Amino acid sequence: MTEETLVLFKNIRNPKYDKSLAAYKNSGGFKSLKKVFGMKPEEVVQEVKESGIRGRGGAGFPTGLKWGFMAKGTGKPSYLVANADESEPGTCKDRELMLKDPHMFLEGLMIGCYAIGCHHGYVYVRGEYFASIKSLNVAVDELYADGLLGSDPLGSGFNLDITIHTGAGAYICGEESALLDSLEGKRGHPRVKPPFPAVSGFNGCPTSVNNVETLACMPFILGDNGAEAFKSFGPQNNSGTHLVSLSGHVNRPGVYELRMDVNMKDIIYEFGGGISNGKKLKGVIPGGSSSPVMTADEVDVLYNFDDLAKKGTMMGSAALIVFDEDTDVVKLLHRITRFYAHESCGQCTPCREGTHWSRQIVRDFLNGNGSDEKLERLNRVGGNMMGTTLCALGDAAAMPIQSFVKKFPEEFRKYYATV
Amino acid sequence: MPLFNEFSMPVFHIDGEPVEYEPGEKILSAALRCGKIIPHYCYHPGMSVVATCRMCLVDVVDLGNGRPAPKLQTACSMDAAEGMKVETLNPKVEEGRKLVNEFLLVNHPLDCPICDQSGECTLQDYAFEYGSGKSEMDYSKRVNGWRDIGTFVALERNRCIQCSRCDRFTREITGTNEFGMFNRGHELTVDTYSDRPMTNKFQGNMADICPVGAITEKEFRFKRRAWKLKKNRSICTGCSTGCNITIEHDRNEIFRLKPHENQNVNKWWLCDEGRLTYRMMNERKTRIHQPLGRVDGKLEAISWEEAYAAIAERVGDMSPLPEEVLALTDTHASNEELFLLQKLLKDIFSAENIFCPLPKWEQSESEFFINTLITTDKTPNRAGALALKIKGDATSAKLKKAIEAELKVVFVLGNPFEAEVEVLEKIKKAQLVVHLGTFHNSWNDIADVVLPGQYYSEKEGTFTNKDQRVQATEVAVQALRRTRPEWRILADLSSALGQESSYGSSADVFNVMTKQVKAFSGLSYAEICGSGKELTQRTKDSGMKVVKAQT
Repeated sequence: MTEETLVLFKNIRNPKYDKSLAAYKNSGGFKSLKKVFGMKPEEVVQEVKESGIRGRGGAGFPTGLKWGFMAKGTGKPSYLVANADESEPGTCKDRELMLKDPHMFLEGLMIGCYAIGCHHGYVYVRGEYFASIKSLNVAVDELYADGLLGSDPLGSGFNLDITIHTGAGAYICGEESALLDSLEGKRGHPRVKPPFPAVSGFNGCPTSVNNVETLACMPFILGDNGAEAFKSFGPQNNSGTHLVSLSGHVNRPGVYELRMDVNMKDIIYEFGGGISNGKKLKGVIPGGSSSPVMTADEVDVLYNFDDLAKKGTMMGSAALIVFDEDTDVVKLLHRITRFYAHESCGQCTPCREGTHWSRQIVRDFLNGNGSDEKLERLNRVGGNMMGTTLCALGDAAAMPIQSFVKKFPEEFRKYYATV
Repeated sequence: MPLFNEFSMPVFHIDGEPVEYEPGEKILSAALRCGKIIPHYCYHPGMSVVATCRMCLVDVVDLGNGRPAPKLQTACSMDAAEGMKVETLNPKVEEGRKLVNEFLLVNHPLDCPICDQSGECTLQDYAFEYGSGKSEMDYSKRVNGWRDIGTFVALERNRCIQCSRCDRFTREITGTNEFGMFNRGHELTVDTYSDRPMTNKFQGNMADICPVGAITEKEFRFKRRAWKLKKNRSICTGCSTGCNITIEHDRNEIFRLKPHENQNVNKWWLCDEGRLTYRMMNERKTRIHQPLGRVDGKLEAISWEEAYAAIAERVGDMSPLPEEVLALTDTHASNEELFLLQKLLKDIFSAENIFCPLPKWEQSESEFFINTLITTDKTPNRAGALALKIKGDATSAKLKKAIEAELKVVFVLGNPFEAEVEVLEKIKKAQLVVHLGTFHNSWNDIADVVLPGQYYSEKEGTFTNKDQRVQATEVAVQALRRTRPEWRILADLSSALGQESSYGSSADVFNVMTKQVKAFSGLSYAEICGSGKELTQRTKDSGMKVVKAQT
């Protein structure tokens, strides 16, 4: 298969599309919202549940279930926050959506708000995404001018406001509870869970935090063809199309919209056009920098949540990073460990000390001070971070370390072995 | 499962032992309440749970539904549940603690020999218990440096383990928000905002709750190693709140006062002003060292026997009428001393003229509990005096009338009305003035006999705090050789003046008092020694005014 399946990118792939509200409406926009306003919120959640969509932010948690968990009858307002703090290295899919077709995402956000009874939706955008922030603000202004936001949009009687909030560039603020802290104006530190945001989130109120791409799927799921059509795009439990951010040593890097039953090999060699400069493949990082690395012989696998999990890795945010035979894996790991040492929030012990320590050990290899003992130690320090931290950043930092040491031990030995 | 259990609350098991919990309570909190120790750094019962130190890892082998938790859980953040089984000592848990401790020591300097926290440092304790003894960290450690952050505490940031207790303290306990966390990752550190020194009145608590030597008390630093200090329970007499404290001393010198947890009084806290009262306990220069008698207009050292005999002789000569006898006291005296003074007047002279200064005072009211600890009444036993119906004021008509009379015998306990020149002038004319006190003051200048008492760190006694809770002090240090506790002096005086009394201890006096004074009835000394007990009959304090505390 060498064709994209266009659901989210149906407008973006149209060269004449100019992302204005009028253009979006012409392409059939806001029909779903109109339909949704005629449904009960529970019916919307049910439809989303039936579509089987799993969150596109990395964890792959079923979105319908998440909305179903929202605490009801608390007397507090509910909130929907779109997580647009896209910072996982390798990921650049949400940027495309916000930059080139903001209305599709905003319509999805509005559908989500209606489904969970939220009258004030927030978009937490990564601070460095200047162009996306501008694009979103223009789009929101258009919606207010058109009466789609504010009081009584489309005569539904459902008042809705949307605020675009920009982050300050911390990776950890992509973690949902840290994001909420940051949105409240505090330091972005992950919170203790439970209580989960669905019970106590933004300002202590029930909150759902959803990825931009997840929300952008909503107009389609609640559209004419509905959940059934969405389900048909992939194998069991991996429904819908998803955006794959392909980067690294390929001839045609970029964001591709694919079904979930596409082979990873095809993504690299067909969509990506093969390895650049005619070199051979050494390995891939399949789901953003925090996912365990795979070697060249492992790439013959369907690129979706479950099949990658069976291989001991994860799809994460679908950021496929490809590296060729000439890549220095130790340098690559050093870059990754530097990233996590820099981005650890520092509040909990294993991650604060472990990310920094592992960075120092990897640097030792680069400086020619490696040894078998240090390789073993690196693996141990990584392992000690795994599963012992408050949020998933500890795991995210540990998984690449352990997988690199396991899959490419010879590369490390090259740095210190006497020939 | 038994059909019913003997506990009133739901029960879960820690290491096979049943532990009661309140619904919604966390594992760690329930465990600590039952005396089960689970190592922890960031958890503090008075503050929010952040679960960041990861030290309190436990193995939940049964979540209450027959299934185990997938990985080690932090006891501080996990709700206890009916039928839950928790293991805190199995190899998996020990391994977990070991690795957390290893991570903590990566950047913590190993300067225990010169660190003031040494000996009372939980990191040191757990490193000893779970550490491997050798470090695999062979890079230089993070250096942040020393910061002068306030009047009362110093901050050594290199030793900080980022537990954030201090940060939460200023946000959640004092509400002053002057302290926070800065930077991130392994450079995360604590400091005051904008380099401003801290100004809150409870900084000493930050040194208490700091699990390591990052925040230490300036008053105490480098004076004594923690393991040398002996500890005695007592009550802070700095104001009428009556915070529970431990007096920490070595070789008869007091080094610091630490709060002792009492949920009914001060919870875990103590104000800095209270902490500084340890200086008075060590004061020697202005103390009265031995009994003094006025010979030819000058005070000269005499023996106790001479003093008692002289008083008995003079009183015998005068045989005063009830209205010619007067006693003045301050409210620093304990319940027993006030009671005995009152009893002395009644039994020997049938007199009732006993007065103490009871100025108006202010109780602060605040959304932050800790602010209510400080009151403007700087005496520990105003409520005790009221319960014994000892009243008065410098301007009260009764006192004015009493001092107008031809006074023959006047007893002065402590240092009442010192600033009232008029009262002093009038009393000067009395034929016999007996002063019982610990420190030299202007009453000495007019007294005929001066009897040296003891400070409350040196004797037993009970005090009634502003909430009418009776609490007891212990003997912490040895008193000056030729002084005696006031209750004994008053009992001896009573014997010397013809009314035999045989109190062996302050507790004996207390027991007599519970029988004779209605307000104290129903109390027993043993009962009040723990966390104190409230009076059954409350007296209204008309001098109190509630004011809004300023943070």
